[in-house]
Amino acid sequence: MAQEGNQRKGEPLLTVKGLKVHFPVYGGILRHKVGTVKAVDGVSFRLNRGETLGVVGESGSGKTTVGRAIINLHKPMYPDVELGGEILFHTESGQVDTNGITRDEMLPLRERIQMIFQDPFSSLNPRLTVQAIIEGPMKVHMNLTAAQRKDRVLDLLDRVGLQRSYAQRYPHEFSGGQRQRVGIARALATNPDLIIADEPVSALDVSIQAQVINLMMELQREFGLTYLFIAHDLSVVYHICDRIAVMYLGNLVEIGTADQVYKSPRHPYSKALLSAVPQPDPRSSNKGRIRLEGDIPTPMAKPSGCGFRTRCPIAKPSCAQDVPELRDVGNGQMVACPFV
Amino acid sequence: MAAVPQEKSLSVLQRRWRKFRTLKRGWYSLVAILVMYALSLLAPLYITNKAWVVKYNGEYTFPALSGFHAATEFGQRTIGEADYRKLKQEFQEADAGNWVLLAPYPYHPNESLMRSLEGRPPHSPSRAHWLGTDNRGRDVLARLVYGFRISLTFAIGVVLLSYTLGIAVGAVLGFFGGKVDILGQRLVEIWSGLPFLYTVIIVSSLLLPSMWTLTAILAAFGWMGIAMYMRGEFYREKSKDYVAAAIAQGDSSRAIMFQQIFPNALTPLISFAPFAVVGAISSLVALDFLGFGLRPPTPSWGEMVNQGLSNIFKWHLVVFPLSALFITLMMVVFIGEAIREAFDPKVFSRLR
Ligand SMILES: Nc1ncnc2c1ncn2[C@@H]1O[C@H](COP(=O)(O)OP(=O)(O)OP(=O)(O)O)[C@@H](O)[C@H]1O
Ligand code: SF4
Ligand SMILES: [Mg+2]
Repeated sequence: MAQEGNQRKGEPLLTVKGLKVHFPVYGGILRHKVGTVKAVDGVSFRLNRGETLGVVGESGSGKTTVGRAIINLHKPMYPDVELGGEILFHTESGQVDTNGITRDEMLPLRERIQMIFQDPFSSLNPRLTVQAIIEGPMKVHMNLTAAQRKDRVLDLLDRVGLQRSYAQRYPHEFSGGQRQRVGIARALATNPDLIIADEPVSALDVSIQAQVINLMMELQREFGLTYLFIAHDLSVVYHICDRIAVMYLGNLVEIGTADQVYKSPRHPYSKALLSAVPQPDPRSSNKGRIRLEGDIPTPMAKPSGCGFRTRCPIAKPSCAQDVPELRDVGNGQMVACPFV
Repeated sequence: MAAVPQEKSLSVLQRRWRKFRTLKRGWYSLVAILVMYALSLLAPLYITNKAWVVKYNGEYTFPALSGFHAATEFGQRTIGEADYRKLKQEFQEADAGNWVLLAPYPYHPNESLMRSLEGRPPHSPSRAHWLGTDNRGRDVLARLVYGFRISLTFAIGVVLLSYTLGIAVGAVLGFFGGKVDILGQRLVEIWSGLPFLYTVIIVSSLLLPSMWTLTAILAAFGWMGIAMYMRGEFYREKSKDYVAAAIAQGDSSRAIMFQQIFPNALTPLISFAPFAVVGAISSLVALDFLGFGLRPPTPSWGEMVNQGLSNIFKWHLVVFPLSALFITLMMVVFIGEAIREAFDPKVFSRLR
């Protein structure tokens, strides 16, 4: 599996087209629909085998919602959710649109897509042993005997740098970093192609963050994994990602290689986000610093046209009319703003 | 890798169980109740008017185990079951090598002893009848022990049944949410609005209830609280990431509800159970007291408390049933208190 993944590196694995995730909001005594949270509102990108795509953006920009849509979590958790667009998963036998398919139809694909969650405390069931947690996906997808599963769990514990004796322990006995390693082992259990990592290190101490990120990069090399790496800020992402996508209020505003987005961001929002990253060189620090005015609007009442226009330093009257499309500004760097 | 000797990891429940055992009052109450219940279940072996052993004409019989034996089998000239206490006297008087070994407390709870005792019932406590007899000349101790057995069996039955219903309904409402939840909650509220006592009285007057119909009726009116608790727990747990992880790994809804969420929703169930038992025992006593409970002559504590009230000057009819009831309920409450304490995340303990 690992070799196969590495061999086919660069082939498309996932194509997302115009993804929309809208949560209806109910209110009043009759519990009727009073509004819609447009958490994700037309997101398109492609992900190739073996690469890492970073998704960055402020809190509430819809990063988690994109990740969960790809692994098809919304429908089972919130049956009322309104989904749109396509999530094409490339398999040997062609493409499957997984957006909003039933749980039964999704089941065989779950073996190939796994998720690492942001909060290592709530993502491990406190009543299960580490063994039971890690073998959960194996029980569903792999035809193994109990003894084989046990061996595999021990192997995975080795892989993620935990002692084998931890298998019989419960989550409360571990630190955040150790728990996140258990979560990573669980995500690896079925040898997946794609791992969605939703801010896997934000909840950890800074000293632990680097260890976990390095572990993830090692595992990627070893197993030929593809990552969708969601994070808050660009500096973590630059280190690990091949390409970076910047999200704002449910839309992608810029996507390009890590160097393009990190070194020469074009969209006004990416520029602002990047100027907020502490610079190692004190002389260059405050030079081009852009401060954003105000707060991110709520996805329930998005501004018309460009979602960023309420805070954009270069906004024009015409920005209120049309939602800007992503366009190529050279070398494949895509920006959703006609004025850069 | 060298195996490092490790202290065994304990699950949350195992740790709470350990804590519970350190809370002596609750732990001893639990042991005492369990022992008493076990003893009461075996009562037909030692509180019975059937003899343990009868030797008659060289043959041995064991009526306490083998059941009914006609009086004529042992040469008695009465119709129906043998009267072993009388038989023992007769054999002793005849002195023909026949003998009877009676049970240690040789009375049946429904057996009227009026003919063999002097005076009119209720008889005061004596060496033969430790707690006296009631107004129909039935042994009070025997009735108390059998009544305990019935009360507890009944209470456990009611709790199990209402828990099953409540867990099923609450889990579905909380887990699926949305319209199912809104509609379900309204139905539960309407059902809670039905007047319990009227319904029981109507059903009792139509059916002459058996223990099982009573269990079903009480459970039918007792599951709503549990359902709402469970709904809340499932609703809260469902939004946690471990449930998302379970969906992502492909678990079915049923596996998620019962293997992932349910173990995390046990706290209110377990801590509430002893109080549910108290409620069920009290309900049965109340119904029996009012005459809508178990059909006579079933030995029931409610009926005995009622006798105490109508014979208020016969102290043994007042004191013994009431103390039995009081002590039992108190011990169950002690268990409940200790469970609550054991489940309390705070480390310091009040009860020790
Ligand atoms: N189930 C839901 N129902 C209603 N609104 C939701 C739901 N899930 C997410 N949202 C809303 O959608 C928006 C995007 O949320 P999301 O969690 O995807 O943001 P995020 O970029 O991951 O933020 P963070 O960095 O804080 O994790 C938020 O405004 C959030 O309130
Ligand atoms: S489209 Fe207009 S508002 Fe949006 S980023 Fe470009 S200039 Fe700013
Ligand atoms: Mg998030």
